[in-house]
Amino acid sequence: MTLFHAELRKLLTLPSARAGLAIGLVLPPGVMMISAVPEEARQDAGFVQLTLGVIGAIVLGVVSTSSEYTAEGDDAPGGRQITTSLTGTASRTLFLAAKAGALTLVVAVLALVTATLTLALTRPLPDNTVPRVVGVVVYWTFTALLAHGITLLTRTGVVPLTLLILNTSVVSVTFLLSKVTPLAAYFPDLAGSHMFLHRIASPVDLAPVTGGLVMAAWVVALLAVAAVVVHRRDA
Amino acid sequence: MITVEHVGKRRGRTKVLSDISFEARPGRVTGFLGPNGAGKSSTLRILLGLDRAEEGTALVCGLPFHRLTRPLTVVGALLDGSGAHRSRTGRAHLRWVAASNGLPRGRVDEVLDLVGLTEAAGKRVRTYSLGMGRRLGLAAALLGDPDVLVLDEPVNGLDPGGIRWMRELLRERAASGRTVLLSSHLMGELAETVHDVVVIHHGRIASRGTLAEVTGTHRTLEDAFFALTGDGR
Repeated sequence: MTLFHAELRKLLTLPSARAGLAIGLVLPPGVMMISAVPEEARQDAGFVQLTLGVIGAIVLGVVSTSSEYTAEGDDAPGGRQITTSLTGTASRTLFLAAKAGALTLVVAVLALVTATLTLALTRPLPDNTVPRVVGVVVYWTFTALLAHGITLLTRTGVVPLTLLILNTSVVSVTFLLSKVTPLAAYFPDLAGSHMFLHRIASPVDLAPVTGGLVMAAWVVALLAVAAVVVHRRDA
Repeated sequence: MITVEHVGKRRGRTKVLSDISFEARPGRVTGFLGPNGAGKSSTLRILLGLDRAEEGTALVCGLPFHRLTRPLTVVGALLDGSGAHRSRTGRAHLRWVAASNGLPRGRVDEVLDLVGLTEAAGKRVRTYSLGMGRRLGLAAALLGDPDVLVLDEPVNGLDPGGIRWMRELLRERAASGRTVLLSSHLMGELAETVHDVVVIHHGRIASRGTLAEVTGTHRTLEDAFFALTGDGR
């Protein structure tokens, strides 16, 4: 519990994480306010905008880990926060669990608040709102955990932040791949979006729970690999 | 008490540490002396569970690092720089470190005062000088009032007043029965501070003993060091 408390404190006192919170909180309701919903997109109104807000979750997932590995600067090029984290914790497993736990809590609360705000601006309210909001919360949380896992492997935030944000906003690589092979439907972002979107241009139509389970499998696999690597690697 | 026995480590195909064995005893300041790249930091990082050794054991108070519960109350560590993220304030850094080991919040202000950073505590770490960063790192090491201190080049970046302050603090810790192990490549400075010396060279122990034993018949520790390592040019 003490480690979880420490990780929560670490995350919430980091300026870049606060930027992630702001992006997640402001982007979806902001876009909702300025967008007109065409008739055929009615059933996904609000939820499409919430897809964009996942950028906030990505930022949180990346910076919670990349901040551990940021060098302190020219005066102390070897100085990094990870040494403080690990000399204060005997178990790397508990350290990673606390980090993932704090990230999960913060992103889940962020997703819930943002979804409520965004849907409050959406009229008429789409069908099945409550289970689909649960889907949004799970999707954001899983995406943050994927970003966290990738950053544990890269130890720098630049690559995962760029790739994941571009894939969400500018051009979806997974969407393009789905034009080439139907297997791309099982990439975590495409599969997971079935949890809350009805109209998805995907070659395979997954049920919401199936989509969630596919995404969960990615999260579990990636975090397991990352945990093994972190255990074996010199800090 | 620190016990290092037969520690060996490779990086790639290079053997960086071979058969490193020494002790650092309670009530004494032990200096780990060697040129840059001799393996001082590697040994300390293995002791602190940061890096892995292929051979041997490194124990703090009889236990390997990964067996410690609430490690900050057993061993405090100062490695490179401050160990803090640059965009956090000094106080925010110490607060999460304290929280990670369930230490009382009031302890943060105590150690800030102890290292002379009370006034800078609300400033972001990126605005700190190298010396202030070292003081912040030391504050984190002292949070849990540990029995053992492990410090890598602690006087790096400190001004002459800071060096003197650090020396007195370390000798006081030892006088109260605690164990202090510090590494340095500054031989003159080390000779002023330590009771015992471990000399490391090319990843091997070249000599160990009390300051007088290691200095031997040489005029200074520095002379003894160059005689031991044959590096005096």
